[in-house]
Amino acid sequence: MTSARIDAPTTRETGPSAGLWVRRHANEVGLVGAIVILYVVLAPLAPNFLSSANQFNILRDAAFVGIIAWGMTLVLIAGEIDISVGANAAFSGVVLALMITHGVPIILACVLVILLGTLIGLGAGALRALFDIPSFIVTLALWLGLRGLAEVMSSAVPVVIPDLGFQNLGGGNIGGFPNPAIFMVVLLVIFIFISRRTVFGRSVYAVGGNAEAAKLSGIPVPLIRMSVFAITGCLASFAGVLFASRLGSGNSEAATGLEFDVIAAVVVGGTSLFGGRGSMIGTLLGVLFIAALGNGLVLMGVDPFMKNVVRGIVILVAVFVNIVSTKRLSRSR
Amino acid sequence: MTTASAPLIELSNATKHYPGVLALDDVDFRMSVGEVRALLGKNGAGKSTLIKVLGGTERLNSGTLRVAGREVNFKNPKDAIEYGIATVHQELASVPEMSVAENISLGRWTTRPVTGIAWKEVSTVAKAALAHVGVELPLDARLSTLSLAQAQLVEIARALSLGAKLLILDEPTSSLAVHEVDLLLQVVKRLSERGIGVIYISHRMDEIERLASSVTVMRDGRNVGDLSAGEATPQRVVNLMVGNADPGDPVEAIPTHAGDVALTVTGLTIPHRVIDASFEVREGEVVGLAGLLGSGRTEILRAIVGAQPGAAGAISLDGKPLRRRTIRSTRAAGIFLTPEDRRAEGAVVMLGVDENLVMASWNKVSSAGIIPRERMRETVTATIKKLSIKVPRRDVEIATLSGGNQQKVVIGKALNAAPRILLMDEPTRGVDVEAKAQIYTLIRRLAAGGIGVLVVSSETEELLEVCDRILVLRSGRIHENLPIHDVTRDSLFEHMIRRESDD
Repeated sequence: MTSARIDAPTTRETGPSAGLWVRRHANEVGLVGAIVILYVVLAPLAPNFLSSANQFNILRDAAFVGIIAWGMTLVLIAGEIDISVGANAAFSGVVLALMITHGVPIILACVLVILLGTLIGLGAGALRALFDIPSFIVTLALWLGLRGLAEVMSSAVPVVIPDLGFQNLGGGNIGGFPNPAIFMVVLLVIFIFISRRTVFGRSVYAVGGNAEAAKLSGIPVPLIRMSVFAITGCLASFAGVLFASRLGSGNSEAATGLEFDVIAAVVVGGTSLFGGRGSMIGTLLGVLFIAALGNGLVLMGVDPFMKNVVRGIVILVAVFVNIVSTKRLSRSR
Repeated sequence: MTTASAPLIELSNATKHYPGVLALDDVDFRMSVGEVRALLGKNGAGKSTLIKVLGGTERLNSGTLRVAGREVNFKNPKDAIEYGIATVHQELASVPEMSVAENISLGRWTTRPVTGIAWKEVSTVAKAALAHVGVELPLDARLSTLSLAQAQLVEIARALSLGAKLLILDEPTSSLAVHEVDLLLQVVKRLSERGIGVIYISHRMDEIERLASSVTVMRDGRNVGDLSAGEATPQRVVNLMVGNADPGDPVEAIPTHAGDVALTVTGLTIPHRVIDASFEVREGEVVGLAGLLGSGRTEILRAIVGAQPGAAGAISLDGKPLRRRTIRSTRAAGIFLTPEDRRAEGAVVMLGVDENLVMASWNKVSSAGIIPRERMRETVTATIKKLSIKVPRRDVEIATLSGGNQQKVVIGKALNAAPRILLMDEPTRGVDVEAKAQIYTLIRRLAAGGIGVLVVSSETEELLEVCDRILVLRSGRIHENLPIHDVTRDSLFEHMIRRESDD
């Protein structure tokens, strides 16, 4: 034992030093650095990258990923994974459009669709929590099934929503800020609160960090697991509603691959795939990083197939650098 | 290979130190061909270090090891195996989803170009090895479908197929059911008749009597006695194990007053472990549960809180029966368990001290599911102060703390849940001396405050320090209920290791 530890005061109430702050937020500091580097590289290479119109575009792209990513962060912290979110979003959009074309009032249709999405998530969570089916398998089946169902229901053609005013919800803006981005920010604030200041949020960390200890502490582990999937289901269908609104139709091919953007953003944001660790702010930075990268590559005119190669490499490098630097910075603790 | 004169292995003047601990202190140890040696000693006496040195997982600081007369210097377990020394650990090292045959030649499967692994030969090797052990097992059965005892035999077979001349078995019977022990003992006997040396860690006198040709007792890192089987009476062994060591500073004497009966356990039975255990714990009383590793101690505690599947029997609190027990219902009733393995079950090590402290008592620091920072800080600060937990910050990750401070956090978590009955499984495992004394004082103080405490411990001194009364668990039954002033270190240990026929 070092004497330093023994002599250390029992609790230190003074504010932390700057060095300590950096060490404890190594992950976030590193990500801000990565985003700055990304901007410095893209600004001269991608035409109009820095224009305010394009920055709002980035925000809008970020919103669809971000809204779901808040829930996905909780899912990953709980030690689970949900790959059904993209399919859930597309399914929700199709169901919404069909409801509206069949005369269901728009607001009611939106509420019902989001409720349905939540129940689907809850069902997936129940299979995981009560029957121990791995969440990857449950949500893989859901990913196939929901996308297929959306295609069957819409005959794989967009279902047009005959209400132009509705397009404002996902397509409009307030003072330049795209509506989805505003929803994203509002939800972010709510999820920061949930993850830091509620019994539920902290229980998610405990379950993901050590489910056995959580169980012995009396935390309702199955309920927590079901809840995180209900949340991603709810957010995915909400994103689906926004998508349908922006496109003016329910499209069974919408949001293809969205789940991987979401998971990549959460992981780039420093959340552990093994559970127990992660933060909403980290995810926010991950979302912004992924959105800015995707946008910059489009502006540079990179071939769409090549774009995916570049994204794959950059995501891998970002996570690699993040893990290595976090380890190094926190070692001196 | 062996000459008639050279012993199978010979360890001379062996010394091994870890930071702050002298684990082996000038130890001499020799084994001859075909000998079965029982290795005894309390926790921390140096048994584990000795077998690790022989098995190649630890290296000596000084001293020499000779195998069949030749001086060797093992760098890793592979070196040891090359010289014919194989260890079967308590935690078995087999692959559960592979077959018996594959496990026996794990990583050494015969391969042919183009056709790959030659399964026929893998089977032949496995069959020969099992025949050597003298048991029959289906070669294509997956390990996960076998019992623990059978899996152990597969590991022994693997060791023999590696050409082992000396087999080290680390508490092989501690996790076996009673009838499985017999099978293992027969196997060991047969191996020794074929000239294979066996080092066997166990404290069960009846096993040692049936099996061992000689006994080595260790204490404080020294070999304090090599006895022949005939000389190793329980009395003699206990004397050597315990010695006349200084009992250390006595824990602050805190009187307790046993009140009404709080917890009643009646006819608790756990398959393969515990038979018809009945006892009670009063308010303000510290009761110890003594027993060897594998005697069912942990399972009893887990059964009380509803975390042991298959347990039968009645448990009541204040005379009210607790039916359909779950961890949540017993916790709500006021029974709380601090588990044996801190890292696996006690704490979420990647979370902060603060969160771990309130994890079992969120209702105390939250309203409507929301956690007001101020209230959480007050509770956490109060607990840290009360248990004198040494932390640089309230939210420091548990993983960075010493064992003693980690344990205090686990206890603090339990106390914040305001238990009436506290079940403590090995409350000071891996804890330094200073923290140990603090934890003992704490346990006494909790009892003085009216909590009923049930303590499980492998350390007899610990039970003697903190308990008002000690129950002795042996072969799945509670055999004794000893008031503390009727027990000494020697007598308690004798009760724990005594043969059934002595009763």
